[in-house]
Amino acid sequence: MQAIKEYRRIAVFGGIYNNALALEAMLEDVYKREVEAVFCLGDMGGFGPHPDRVFPLLKAAGVLAIQGNYDESLALGKGDCGCGYTDPRDNFFARVSYEYTFQNTSLNNKAWLGRLPKQRRIRLGPLQVSMCHGSPRTINEFLWESSTPNGLVQKFLRHGGTDVLLCTHTGIKWQRRLPEGKHLVNVGVIGRPENDGQTNVWYTILTAGDDLQVEFVPVHYDHERLALEMEQEGLPPEFIETIRTGWWTTCMEILPAKERRRGKY
Amino acid sequence: MSTPVSPFSYLSTLWVQLTGTWCNLQCVHCINASGPKNPWLKSLDPKTVKRSIREAETFGVKEIYFTGGEPFLHEDILDLLAFALQAAPTTILTNGTMINGTVADALAALASQTPYSFEIRVSIDDIDAEQNDRIRGKGAWAKALKAIQLLHARGLLPILTATEPVHQSLSEESGLYTRFRNFLLSLGIDKPRVKIIPIFPIGRMAVVGAPLLTEEVLQGFDFSLLQCSETRVVADGGIYSCPILAGLAEARLSEESLQDSFKPCRLYHPACVTCYHTGMTCKNF
Repeated sequence: MQAIKEYRRIAVFGGIYNNALALEAMLEDVYKREVEAVFCLGDMGGFGPHPDRVFPLLKAAGVLAIQGNYDESLALGKGDCGCGYTDPRDNFFARVSYEYTFQNTSLNNKAWLGRLPKQRRIRLGPLQVSMCHGSPRTINEFLWESSTPNGLVQKFLRHGGTDVLLCTHTGIKWQRRLPEGKHLVNVGVIGRPENDGQTNVWYTILTAGDDLQVEFVPVHYDHERLALEMEQEGLPPEFIETIRTGWWTTCMEILPAKERRRGKY
Repeated sequence: MSTPVSPFSYLSTLWVQLTGTWCNLQCVHCINASGPKNPWLKSLDPKTVKRSIREAETFGVKEIYFTGGEPFLHEDILDLLAFALQAAPTTILTNGTMINGTVADALAALASQTPYSFEIRVSIDDIDAEQNDRIRGKGAWAKALKAIQLLHARGLLPILTATEPVHQSLSEESGLYTRFRNFLLSLGIDKPRVKIIPIFPIGRMAVVGAPLLTEEVLQGFDFSLLQCSETRVVADGGIYSCPILAGLAEARLSEESLQDSFKPCRLYHPACVTCYHTGMTCKNF
């Protein structure tokens, strides 16, 4: 069994969604912040243009990644992204996004995605930290702030024998501190803005201390260039609107009322 | 030929069959033949509901749903919703006919007092009042629509829930979803939420001799797609495997304890075929 590696300060992000421009900007920002390692919690593809541009950046930066549901689907050649939408409008856009990404991701990169682990475990100072994409039990489970009761978080932490649980998948960051120094942190995504009318995206820096320090870091990137590239690739105007305005326009079914209320649509 | 069974994975969803089959409407497609007279399944007392919610919380339940019958007929409904919302995200399924301004205000207050999501599903089966009322009863459309507007005005984002008259698969081509979405938008509801569910061959739509699932059909099937792998229902008489079959003796898994119900359940009913074919989930998502 591999020994669990210990760090003091790390950067963690999720959901690249083919957004190589945001990834590049995020990595530049990370270099200034003296972290020991950078982790990605999966979903490299979907939504944006030119999927293959993401992989050289991840490899060159030595990012330690795990698989998201999108990565699992691409690697296994599945017919859809595995988000499990039931709403026909959401399904339509999910299909457009997945088919574009599937056709434009090389076989080598699909194979690389297939070799990624599903979860990781590290130590951050005295704290045991577990990383997953959706939830510890299901790769595509959505853990929204308003849909994740404390009893469920405590169950995940207890079963995993861990102090801190890191996840992504929803597209909106949040954190919760529980009794006895336990934490859940949804690290957010860098692939698209988080439905707040702002065009920036977010990643997370975690620092060990007496208690865990959680810092959400905004990343501003050339989103107009991304929008133009998406137009050139013939991606749906609804996706491009999100990049330009910061409001989600598709895949709304998955949002609980509290999170949906904050958006425009 | 033996009846196939669905394994139990973990408790994600607790359903509370609050008012049994007591309802102020008598819809033609009702899965449990609810109505105003002589309900065959009784309402739950608040003590039983709270005990089940407490137990579910210890198992890390993710969501709680209240249904019936019509759950707003229960005199303790607001207190029970408040109790549930301290434990987990909670949804209520209603025909909307009892939601007036006062009730909508009380629901908005509940939503503001919980850190968790509070969802309200209001049933309407057609955008046309006459067509809807043929299924749901005279005046049902206008009252349900009023409820949706009252809830929307308070920022509660109700989910319009419609039944699609198909048995095999939910059809995008029927356009039902788009019709409802456009209808809500035309009313000024700018964050439209629509859920479509299929007709089940049970209750008032029971079909004599309807097909059953077999072990052969289920070879290689992913049982996690069936809600009974992670759902349990508290209803009069005990704990049952799923909300569609709540109250039926063959679907009962324990008398009182949720933990005792965490075991494989028999896929014995024609309604199980609908879940198998449609990937149906009674959950919001």
